[in-house]
Amino acid sequence: MRTRRLETIFSSRNTFIGWIILLILLALYPQVTELSGIRLLQLTQIFIFITLASNWNLIGGMTGYVDFGHAVFFGVGAFVMGILVTQVQNYIVFAPGLSFWQALPIAGLAAMLFALLIGLPTLRLKGPYFSIAMLGTFVAMREIVRVLKDFTGGGRGLDLPPVLNRERDYYFMLVWMGLVLIAIWWIHRSEFGQSLMAIREDEVGAEMRGINTTKHKIIAFMLAAFSTGIIGGFWAFQNTYIDPDVVFIEQRTVEMVMASMLGGLGTVWGPPLGALILYVLQDVVWSRVPEGHLVVLGVLLIIIVLFVPEGILGTFKNPSSTSLGRLLRGYREEQPRPETVATE
Amino acid sequence: MVQQQPLLEGRNVTKYFGGLAAVHHVDFAVYPGEIVGLVGPNGSGKTTLFNCLSRILPINEGEIYFKGKNITHAKPYQVAHMGLARTFQVIRVYRKMTVLQNMLISRQWRGEGILKMLRPSSKATHERARQLLDFLLLGHLMHEPAGHLSGGQRRLLEIGMALMPDPDIILLDEATSGINPTLIETIKDRIRQLNRQEGKTFLLIEHNIDFISDLCSRVYVLDFGEKLAEGTPEEIKNNPAVIEAYFGAE
Ligand SMILES: Nc1ncnc2c1ncn2[C@@H]1O[C@H](COP(=O)(O)OP(=O)(O)O)[C@@H](O)[C@H]1O
Ligand SMILES: [Mg+2]
Repeated sequence: MRTRRLETIFSSRNTFIGWIILLILLALYPQVTELSGIRLLQLTQIFIFITLASNWNLIGGMTGYVDFGHAVFFGVGAFVMGILVTQVQNYIVFAPGLSFWQALPIAGLAAMLFALLIGLPTLRLKGPYFSIAMLGTFVAMREIVRVLKDFTGGGRGLDLPPVLNRERDYYFMLVWMGLVLIAIWWIHRSEFGQSLMAIREDEVGAEMRGINTTKHKIIAFMLAAFSTGIIGGFWAFQNTYIDPDVVFIEQRTVEMVMASMLGGLGTVWGPPLGALILYVLQDVVWSRVPEGHLVVLGVLLIIIVLFVPEGILGTFKNPSSTSLGRLLRGYREEQPRPETVATE
Repeated sequence: MVQQQPLLEGRNVTKYFGGLAAVHHVDFAVYPGEIVGLVGPNGSGKTTLFNCLSRILPINEGEIYFKGKNITHAKPYQVAHMGLARTFQVIRVYRKMTVLQNMLISRQWRGEGILKMLRPSSKATHERARQLLDFLLLGHLMHEPAGHLSGGQRRLLEIGMALMPDPDIILLDEATSGINPTLIETIKDRIRQLNRQEGKTFLLIEHNIDFISDLCSRVYVLDFGEKLAEGTPEEIKNNPAVIEAYFGAE
């Protein structure tokens, strides 16, 4: 009851309207002021950060399948882009030298198809097993890319056409971020999204109430992978160079997880907020203590898990669920223990 | 009585947990429009039988038929779409979601495509949820998180969720346990009403003998996973083997 007012302010609809206004302002930003290439690059990176966190949130937050290897889809997108737009020596199976716009949807679709192949077996696994399986997939894929020298350039990597256009990059990511967030906002209020959350809360119960849980999980996973693959493809082109070590970075997944948790798992606007805060924080920490950067992030993650497990927005929505929320509101209520039912 | 085709039928249903036969060679049939009781001491396999029927647990032997179709290897969501709904002994409502959201999750599913799923719940679905909540005296709690409800109210909510998709048969697992007597009367009344007016079929696991006598035309008794007896509530009450199973062990 006492959170009603905050909830209406942060209602999905109001935030959506605010978000559209913000997007328009961001679209006008480079037009009305002279922005340096560095500033444009920074903003583009923030957009990437936000979109990746939102993609991850679809499977990890809304559906509750914590994907510790989500960056693998980024890698697949990046390498599909790299292979398609460069002249690969020796075994040329693809028509090489596609344009960015021709290669981009293929990068996304490849990641999506990969998600289908990986998801069919792994999404049957519960909780931690799925997380570990995805971590394994990620590590394995990096090695596979390293070994398939003829396609991927192996450890030497691939040089993409050196086209530098920061403003184009800015607008591309702005549009993609806008589309993804609107899509997630829509999914969240659709029956599909509600079913995903039912799966997260109680999968057996969801199945018994008529939800085809396997189909729902796979679709959510594929949608998330598609968007991450698109970003991977875009990133490869923007970066003009890829190799397994710059593309397949564990930290990328860690950042998606942290941003989502910080902002609020499973909420629409939490992960973008978390991503923004995390980016700024990283920037500050990075410039002060570059060598202790990862340590600080690790400590932050522990603090989030301990004190704000439901994230910033989750804390506003349901103060009794986090120690921070209880602290802030002096809210006391015994939490009934989660019930379990005997199943195999 | 002319015997029609059973609505739900189990033939030789057997379920092992390791070496323990939780359900052992059980035959039963529930006919359309019946209210059938399933009783037995604690641990006799009643809930396990429900889990097998609703396809949450695979069975080791036997077959299950629903509306004449073999559903032995069907998925839970498939039998739900066919018109079987159930509640759980250990209540499974979505605590963080509101009462209304809980109801919306268990909506009609027949023939829904992916594009349809991407829409918010329809007006008709909302309307049905509201009506059912009123019917179950939960209308005023619609926007409360389900976690704030009392145990009895949660049982009612689960019954509401089971009714949402307009099923043909409803399996209730100890719907009256831990519930105050007034609410029990409400539940009894609602079951009777649904049965008489809408022709809904019920299979009830119950410990409350008056509840069973008032509602059920037939009763099955399980003991150590085996079917011990079947008959009218009167016959069951006077069956020496049943009395032995219930009171002999004490
Ligand atoms: N998931 C399970 N794993 C192992 N044993 C189980 C499981 N579920 C139930 N059992 C056992 O099966 C027997 C029947 O239990 P149950 O069906 O819950 O009985 P009832 O509902 O009649 O009280 C009990 O001995 C119980 O311990
Ligand atoms: Mg039981």
